[in-house]
Parts: sequence; structure tokens; C-alpha cells
Amino acid sequence: MSQDSQEVVRIEGLVKDFRPGFGLRARRVLHGIGFGVRQGEIFGFVGPNGAGKTTTLKILMGLIHPTAGRASILGHDVRESEFRRHVGFLPENPWFYDFLTGREFLRFYGRLCGVAAAEREARIDELLGRVGLSAAGDARLRTYSKGMLQRIGIAQALVHDPTVVFLDEPMSGLDPIGRKEIRDLILRLRQEGKTVFMNTHILSDVELLCDRVAIIVKGEIRYEGSTDDFLAGGERETELVLAQVPPALATLLEQRLGARLSGLGDRIEVRVAEKRVGEALREALAAGAEVVSVVPHRVSLESIFLSAVEAGK
Amino acid sequence: MTTRLVRVLTLAGNTVREAVRNRVLYTLVFFAVALIGTGVLLSTLSYVEQERILQDVGLAAIRLFGVAIAIFVGVGLIHREVDRRTIYTILSKPVSRTEFLLGKYLGLVATLWLQVAIMAAAFAVVSLMAGAPLGAGHAAAIGLIAVELALVVAIATLFSAFTTPMLASLFTAGLFVVGSLSRDLRELGVHSGSHVARQVLEGLYRVLPDLESFNLSIQAVHGLPIAATDVWLPVFYAAGYSAWVLLLAVVIFERRDFR
Repeated sequence: MSQDSQEVVRIEGLVKDFRPGFGLRARRVLHGIGFGVRQGEIFGFVGPNGAGKTTTLKILMGLIHPTAGRASILGHDVRESEFRRHVGFLPENPWFYDFLTGREFLRFYGRLCGVAAAEREARIDELLGRVGLSAAGDARLRTYSKGMLQRIGIAQALVHDPTVVFLDEPMSGLDPIGRKEIRDLILRLRQEGKTVFMNTHILSDVELLCDRVAIIVKGEIRYEGSTDDFLAGGERETELVLAQVPPALATLLEQRLGARLSGLGDRIEVRVAEKRVGEALREALAAGAEVVSVVPHRVSLESIFLSAVEAGK
Repeated sequence: MTTRLVRVLTLAGNTVREAVRNRVLYTLVFFAVALIGTGVLLSTLSYVEQERILQDVGLAAIRLFGVAIAIFVGVGLIHREVDRRTIYTILSKPVSRTEFLLGKYLGLVATLWLQVAIMAAAFAVVSLMAGAPLGAGHAAAIGLIAVELALVVAIATLFSAFTTPMLASLFTAGLFVVGSLSRDLRELGVHSGSHVARQVLEGLYRVLPDLESFNLSIQAVHGLPIAATDVWLPVFYAAGYSAWVLLLAVVIFERRDFR
């Protein structure tokens, strides 16, 4: 994979082993993964639970150390800390200092990021308005609902006007209206030229928001590329329904043509890449099977994702 | 002010604010003040040296409650941040782990000194009401208790950097007890008659904290003279010992994974 000069995040050969305890064998959770995130894009990092998404994000945030490999943000090794004045981060299910008010909370993070006092208060007012918490700015965080905490968490990620923002499951705990507001906010960040890296398992959000995606399964990258290409790949899949299928044909379709088979009573449903439909039909007819239907399918991101996960098993 | 110092002070200020808004600590300080007050009652049990008993109890209360608060808060100092995941957003900002640890440490020391000041004020009020003498010796004794607490917090921070609050409190309390007796250990070695025992116990004395060096309560209560070196040497000793302990804490903390 070549290094793109416009990349703001680059991961190469990243390996992470966790040792469960003294004397116990280390468990490898990342198997030398690599990918890049380009400037100004919304990048979706997608995978099932336990795939290694949060581990990767924690390495990027300097919270855990890689066993091997390299990770950099804006050209800086993630073990450094000063460059983080250009980085924003919202963890999954965040818990914040609940003895602070929303305004004190943002002031605290603003100071840590070196935001000058003169511009800090104006920035805090703007952000509270932007996440819909202007009226709650002087209330303590312990009185906030889960959705309000998520929104103040996004505000702290933006308090220092970062270049790149990392969001771990940003829609977690939000109602449909809250999700729409956060989606709009993420899109606005892209309009402002910021790069957004988003860990998520909500595939509809990936389809709606992400320019590019990487899919991680069991600590390995299964796909990295544009969301459009990924979905276009799905459009070329076709569903065949066949009857009177001899076992040899089923084996051939699965093993030689890479089709996915599922039973429908005495019929079987065959999902095969469009470029192999002709060959599949010829084999089916030659084997004496009956072709019941042929339907081109636009596969949802969810089914592509599930296929990637299945392929990893 | 450098940006690093601003970050450390911001973290320290937030730690003080958290303690000030924590009602449990008020309860502990209240009990300490109450115990200082009960010195008046205890002193009436004796016909002689009533003021001395009153002040002995008062200074012991300041020290023991100070140590209790230092251990109670200190051992959870880092663990709480990791457990509640507040450390995630802080370390994702331009804050190094060393700055984080120092900020938390200084914040807790400032909180403890604030509480020692409240307890010292209560001690002074009770002493004046009972007609007991108050002087520079008492100020020096309370000042060295505050310095000793800074060292205890450093030890609690070290254990908090790598183990659970339960184990950290056991280790810190254990080291506090042993540290209070470390001079006796050395004396034991000198009088043991065995060269090996003397070397081992001398070595232990040098590694363990010498907390007895911070105890000026006898001189203060009995009005005995206190040399300047009795104050400054323990201050330098605490600064050096705390620096080494915090350095060790930083080395361990830098290597940790926050899973």
C-alpha cells in the first residue's frame, strides 16, 4: 500500500498482543493491519464486536502501545503528545467529570489544549449552541441525559478546533432525532475541511456518511476503499433460484464460482457475482437443474459486511 | 508560564475542585475537627499537663486523618480515571502521561494541605480556648505533617499507577506503618551484634521512608527548642524521596495499556 501525501492517518503492520495474566499466553487481537485515512474525508472503520476497532482507535489515541508496527497521525508517531492539539476524540459510552458544569467541562479541555483565554469563552458558547446545549451549559454533567453527555462529548472533541476528529460509536445512546443532529454535525465537519474517523457498527450511518470504509474482522482488514465502490460491488450480485439441484452442482457453484447457497424447501437460492451468472446458468442447465428465477440484486452494505465477516470465519 | 506547566496546573486545579465538591472528604475533616475538640474532654481526665494532652491528641488527629485522607483518595487517584474512562479524553489531548500524573499528584497534595489548614485552624481555636500555649514549634510540627502527607500521597500515587485501590491502600498503609518504625529497625540492627543483620537493616532503613523525621509534636507540645535543620532537612528529604517515587510511578505509568 503506497503512502498517500494527503493522508492524515497511516497505519502500517500494526500488531497488538494482550497478555491476560502472568504466565498466560498472549492473545493477538491485531494481525498486522494497515490502512490510510485521507484529508477531508469521513472514514468509517467498521467491524463486529471484538474485531479490533476500539483497540486500533486506542493505539491511535496513545492509550495502548502497539506490539509491532507503526501508526501516525498528521505525520507524527502516535506516541508523541504535542501534535494532539490538532486531534479531537470522543470515546465510546463516555463518562465525564460529573461534578463540572457543561461550561466548566469545556473550559477545562480548552485549557488543556492551549486555547487562548480570549477566544475560549466565545468558542464554548458557539459549541454549546452547535450541539444544542446552550440552555444546559451551567448545569452539572451529573444531571445530563445520555444523549446530552454524547453531545457535550462531541463538543469537547471540537473545543480546540482540531484538524482530525476520531469518534467511537458517535450515535450510541441517541434517539432518532439526536442521531440526525449528529449526522448533520459530522457532515458539517467535512464541509469545514476536517477529517473524520468514525468507529461504528451502524451500517446505515456508514452508507449515509462515509466516503471510504475499512472493514476489520478478527484483527484483519477485509476491505479498504470507497463506500461507493463497495456498494457497487454489491450491485453486480445476482440471485438465482434453482430446483432439482444435484449435490455435485451445489458443490461446484459454491467452490468454483464462489456462490452463496441457502435452502428454500426443495429449491435453493444461489447468490453469485454478476460476471459469473452466465457460467452458473450454463452449469445448472447442463446438470439438469430447473431455473426458477434470475433477479439482479443491489446488495445492502449490511449483507456485504456479513459476507466479509463470514469469509473471516 | 510554559504550556506544560499550564496543563499540569489545570489538571491539579480540576483534582482540587473534584475533592472540594466531594462530600465524603468534608465528613472526614469534620471527624478530625471533632476529635481535636474531644481533646478538651480527654485532657480533663488528667490533673496534670492538661494542655499537653489536648495538643498531643490534636496533632495526632491532624496526622492520622491527613494520612487516612491521603490513602483514601490517593490510591484511587489514577484507578478512578481509568475505570471511569475519563483518562481517555485527557490523554487524547496534548497531555503527556507524566503531566497527567504530576497534575493529579499536585492536585491531591493541594487538597490535603487545604484540609490540614482547616484542621490546624481548629487546633489553634481549641488550644486558645483551653489556654494552651501556641508558638512557632506548633506551626513547624503541623508544617512537617503537611510535608509528610505529600510523601505519603507520592507513595499512594505510585501504587495507584499499577494496581487496584484495595491493594494500593494495603501497600501504602503498610509502608506508612513500616516507615514510622524504620528508625527502630536501624536501631535494632545496630544493637543486634550481627554484621549481616546490621547491613540488611541499615539497607532497609535507607530504602524505606523515614517518617519519624517529620514528627516534631513532642518538641512542639513540650516547648522544646527546634533547630532549623530539624525542619529543613525533612523538607529536602521529602522532596527527594517523593521525586524518586514519582519518577518510578511515571516509568510504570508510561508503559501501561488503558484497555
